[in-house]
Amino acid sequence: MALGVVLGALVLYVVYVGSLMAVGPYALGSFGLGGLGAFIPIVLYLLVAILLAIRRRTSRFGAGLLIGLGIFVLLGGGLCVGALTQMGGLR
Amino acid sequence: MIGLPFAGDGLVHGVLTGLGIVAALLFYAYEKRRRGLTDPRLWPIAGFAVAFGAIGSRVLTWDVSTQVSLADWWGNGDRSILAGLVGAWFGVHLGKRLTGYRESTGDLLAPAVALAMVLGRVGCLLTELPGTPTGGAWGIALTPAQAALLGGPSGAGLHPSFAYEIVFHAVAFAVMWRFRDRLAHRGDLFICYVTAYALFRFGVEFVRGNEVLWLGMSRPQWFLLAVLPLLIWRMRRVFGKPVRPELKGRVA
Repeated sequence: MALGVVLGALVLYVVYVGSLMAVGPYALGSFGLGGLGAFIPIVLYLLVAILLAIRRRTSRFGAGLLIGLGIFVLLGGGLCVGALTQMGGLR
Repeated sequence: MIGLPFAGDGLVHGVLTGLGIVAALLFYAYEKRRRGLTDPRLWPIAGFAVAFGAIGSRVLTWDVSTQVSLADWWGNGDRSILAGLVGAWFGVHLGKRLTGYRESTGDLLAPAVALAMVLGRVGCLLTELPGTPTGGAWGIALTPAQAALLGGPSGAGLHPSFAYEIVFHAVAFAVMWRFRDRLAHRGDLFICYVTAYALFRFGVEFVRGNEVLWLGMSRPQWFLLAVLPLLIWRMRRVFGKPVRPELKGRVA
């Protein structure tokens, strides 16, 4: 489960913070993921995490991914998503 | 008067929120083991609570009447612990429905939530607008720069409303620790904690300094006014008489 927490939060930070820092604010926007599209990675992540969490064999890893998502949203990650949504022009 | 050491510092707030989540999960693991609960579905349910609590704290405060888009609200809108609790409650129910777990999890979660709130509110106490003016010399005073940043008055002593809340959750945690095995039904501990917090929060909102929505009351107070009757009705199950006492002893 701990692996899921660390890996999940890390993936989200890399996707969102990395996108903002490495290529600039339009990094995700250039792939059509600006505006509300910035929520697409987080929604896909949530769906995958839920699917893994409800499967018996992967439930602990899925639980870790869900906790990782919570940590990401609460600890600054939400700001990154917010920043990207405001840069895509779609409101 | 006391100063505000980390006004508006998101890092300090985030670190303490993170510590709160870690403490809550560690306590959840401890309590799960103490109660001998080995069902593998309990961790996913905790995961659902954390994820949907975090999402709820951002999304459920969205006020459509302000004509701010959800995307803008996600980045810059209000966050609310009450909305987070509603989100976590929804997450737990969704998790239980999807995993097929039918037992009550409230008694496991309630002390863990209280513990998270103690640490999380320390983050609020150190960084956010503390409350309304106390009228005394014992409150938290903001510098002019902090007052401009947080939108409060400078120089005046302000109610340390988050300190009141820390004391509440610490006492609630201690009481739940003491009585955790003594309540009649599973889930009663959670009902007692949430009802007590709703009543306390309704009162403390008068010195919190949140925006007044209507009739001198803030948005959280109106939300609590709507929810409290339901909670008080549920409390009757905990401390009230049996619904049909005349049947007791006749059946079977």
